Amino acid sequence: MSSLLQTHDLTVSYGGLHANSNVNIKAEKGKLTGLIGPNGAGKTTFIDAITGFTNVSSGRAEFNGADLAGVSPAARAKAGLVRTFQSLELFEDLTVWDNLIVMAEETKWWSFLADIFQPNRALGVEERAEWALNLLGLGEFRDRLTLDLSHGQRKLVSVARSLAASPKLLLLDEPAAGLDTVESQQLGSHLREILNHDITIFLIDHDMGLVLSVCDYIYVLDFGKIIAEGTPEEVRNNPEVIKAYLGESAGELQASEGDAAARALKGEG
Amino acid sequence: MKDAIGFAFLGIGAGGFIAMMAAGLVVAFKGSGVINFSHGAVAMYAAFTYNYLRLDGTIRLPLVDILPTHQANIPVKISLASGGPVDKWLAILISLLMSMLIGAGMHYLVFRPLRNAAPLGKVIGAIGVMLYLQGIALVNFGAENPQPEAILLPNTLFTNFLGFGKPLPGESFALAIVAIIVGAALWFNYKFTRFGLATRAAAGNEKGAVLLGYSPERLALSNWIIAALTAGLAGVLVGSVTGALNVVKFTTLIVPALGAALIGSLSSVPIAIAGGVGIGMLQTVVATWMSGQSWFPEWLQSGATDAIPLVIIVLVLFLRGKSLPVRGNIQEKRLPLSPYPKRIGWYVAVFVPLGAILAFGLPGDFIFAGLSGKWGFAFTTTLIGAMLMLSYVLLAGYVGQISMVQLSIAGVAAFFMARMTANGTPSPEDPFAVSGPGIAWPIAAILGIIVAVAVGIILGIPALRIRGVQLAVVTIAAAVSLQTLYFDNSKLTNLMAGSNAAVPSPTLFGIDIGSTGSAGLTDSPKFALFCVIVLALMCVMVSNLRRGSTGRRFLAVRANERAAASAGVDVPRTKLLAFGLASALAGMAGVMTAFQQQQISSANWVYFAGLVTLAFAYLGGITSVSGAVIGGVLTGSGIVAVFGAHQSEGLHSYTPVLGGVGMILTAILHPSGQSMLYQPIVQYFGNWLKRARGREWAGVGRRLGPFIVIGLAWGAIGINPWRTDDWSRPWMMALGAFLALFIRNLVILIRSGGHRELGSAEATQEVAA
Repeated sequence: MSSLLQTHDLTVSYGGLHANSNVNIKAEKGKLTGLIGPNGAGKTTFIDAITGFTNVSSGRAEFNGADLAGVSPAARAKAGLVRTFQSLELFEDLTVWDNLIVMAEETKWWSFLADIFQPNRALGVEERAEWALNLLGLGEFRDRLTLDLSHGQRKLVSVARSLAASPKLLLLDEPAAGLDTVESQQLGSHLREILNHDITIFLIDHDMGLVLSVCDYIYVLDFGKIIAEGTPEEVRNNPEVIKAYLGESAGELQASEGDAAARALKGEG
Repeated sequence: MKDAIGFAFLGIGAGGFIAMMAAGLVVAFKGSGVINFSHGAVAMYAAFTYNYLRLDGTIRLPLVDILPTHQANIPVKISLASGGPVDKWLAILISLLMSMLIGAGMHYLVFRPLRNAAPLGKVIGAIGVMLYLQGIALVNFGAENPQPEAILLPNTLFTNFLGFGKPLPGESFALAIVAIIVGAALWFNYKFTRFGLATRAAAGNEKGAVLLGYSPERLALSNWIIAALTAGLAGVLVGSVTGALNVVKFTTLIVPALGAALIGSLSSVPIAIAGGVGIGMLQTVVATWMSGQSWFPEWLQSGATDAIPLVIIVLVLFLRGKSLPVRGNIQEKRLPLSPYPKRIGWYVAVFVPLGAILAFGLPGDFIFAGLSGKWGFAFTTTLIGAMLMLSYVLLAGYVGQISMVQLSIAGVAAFFMARMTANGTPSPEDPFAVSGPGIAWPIAAILGIIVAVAVGIILGIPALRIRGVQLAVVTIAAAVSLQTLYFDNSKLTNLMAGSNAAVPSPTLFGIDIGSTGSAGLTDSPKFALFCVIVLALMCVMVSNLRRGSTGRRFLAVRANERAAASAGVDVPRTKLLAFGLASALAGMAGVMTAFQQQQISSANWVYFAGLVTLAFAYLGGITSVSGAVIGGVLTGSGIVAVFGAHQSEGLHSYTPVLGGVGMILTAILHPSGQSMLYQPIVQYFGNWLKRARGREWAGVGRRLGPFIVIGLAWGAIGINPWRTDDWSRPWMMALGAFLALFIRNLVILIRSGGHRELGSAEATQEVAA
């Protein structure tokens, strides 16, 4: 087993505040790795640092064996390190289909010249976009503007959009936030399905049910530090985690929900 | 060095003025999030009010009696002292009250209705106010340029100021002191009073102010009045520091003030004050001392002072800016949607022949003989205007980059082409021929466009870190610099002062396609057709860019730069590509303008005209190609303007006023631009034509027939009876019918509820039904 993404003592500071300090995380190829933590723990900062949206103060990150330092966010995306945003950040002026195509297509410096003469030429990525669209059940919304969709549908569009980019590693930032329990479970089964297509997933969420049920390996972040890691089973029983994040009773409730969901999923698979 | 410091102090008067203006800009921005491009116009109006009170004792209200007969007797001019001057202090008081009145009016009539508009909409509103105040001032005060009266320490001269060996007028010194006092007062007000706290809270979040027990609207009103008051104070007190009063020149003093305000991040009054004084001093040092030094490059001598704000703005913003917006930035209100262009072939098939008919007339001059004379010139002006608008559509509409420099970039292409075609041989038409390589026009035109693209890309670099309205400020400063450093710089243009650059007449395969027609006027139909074809090609090009992957990327960047970067879109490169392409479009417009005018001067590309062209592009519809064409129709000296002037001779002095009002109204009522209003109607009508049967035609005839008949009759007697000649009579009937239908539809629209988006499908169907 080789790790696709690996961070070495990654630290992000804003002034004197360490949003991430000495974070060491591995995302194994073909697995679903999770990162959980309470609000303000530095989860999104971690994704921002990995994808180049915020500056790393010290430490480093390796993707597919290559150091990411100095690589622009766009170039990281092109290399297969693709993320979604907690706040969706869809292209609201474009249709669902165009949202996917922007992500999928490869352009050259002369693309604009080609566009002037042949704007609707085949791009060779339509099949991929079609697959992503159908995988998440969005076929019927293909030509709608993303503005017109419900919040849950927009969440799915943001996942489909990332899939269209042929990611090697998909970083999902709270995809379940704002979804109801059913939608969240559907999302979970979509994620396991995506893993079968040679895509590694790194999932950030605070929906414990989702994370505990779908992840293969989980890291727990609190105040910018990794306080625990392990399989869902280990994390669930880690007293440190229960104290810092889950809280006594609420955590147990959520954990048992996760249990049920996990059994349902594993039972099917 | 001692000399330099001495000279620097000479600039503290101008610096004080800039500082006060900058403080007002900061206040307005804090209060309502508007960068007030009309701030200079407010100061101008107050300055004129004061000086006319002192000249002839009259107040002239900021409005016009639009009826030339004065039937309505709207009071405009109020005489206070039966022709004599009013007391100095009373005059100051009245002028300041006037500026406060204007500030309140701006709040209630313009910026409160626009509070939820996209940033560009607010910019257009401010430009509308500026045009309005300029137009009003020209009507009410005339085009005279009186010498302003010095108020502060007149007749005082410090002969050896601070021992640096340079004399300083007391007025300059006093102005700087007043600026610092005003700055301190404002700073205290915002830092330590509850009102200031509430304003700061409201700037972050309107609910914050409500929690403190303040109405956000009342806060905005107070801030507008304070801002206008500082502008008025600056205008009244500036006295002789800026020289003779001139409506246009005074208004443009806003540019260095914008620079100073940006130094203070539009939030810190003390820094803005310091920045303003600093800019004034630096400008004076460069103008008086540095340019006299032997190491100072000769070609920079003209215009270096005007480039200082640009340099400072770019440095400050670029160092402070981020290449991607950070998380949690307040999302700005969005521009209207950019529709996907459809049926481009059909549009070309209809509009190119239509353009040919307008140019040449129908075969055998049957009914219509083609546009000639001023109409022919207006037609080509419209077409070229549309070309320029396309550059705004691509840059502002597709990529969301507010640029006010496109007109100047057109000028770069035109000037460069003119110089490349020049060969230094004087002729009767061009006695002061400039030197040049004498290249053939097509190659020179291409070279001109290439240079325009290069300049455009360089000016696009700040956009990599500066966004939104701040970018607009950078581009307007860039436009000022282009004007003074290039167009007005005889070292680069080799032009005699005041003379124009000659442009040769283009020929294609031996056919003269220049703009000179048979009667010697600039109305050649061949040139008009040339323009039609060029515009059609440009429209197809922009439409195709919008439909292809480039357009997707442009809109992705416009919608969300962070998400675009995460999608693998190289945001900086995409922006520079847009700047380059938009500059190519603008350059084409510049080249065509040069061919149309046959000689060009810096007056063709005045940077303030660039603001107005952006406003027209917005009015037409900034996000679509059809919007660009409509913007071209509306543009200054275009078809609509010439038609309006023709129909309302005697009213033409009111056109800037009406233009300003129209701009404000459109920004408020119809932010997606006029094309969004027409497009669904055209589409609906097209579909209807395809499927309509005789019975439906009869139904339409019954409903609309009476209106058409009334309209035709109205047109036959003349819409404007004292202005109907043989030439315009047939047109009048068509116009009458159109106006009758238009008024009918407008009534239906208003009755169907004005709150609804006018361009929406159901509203259109209602209108069409």
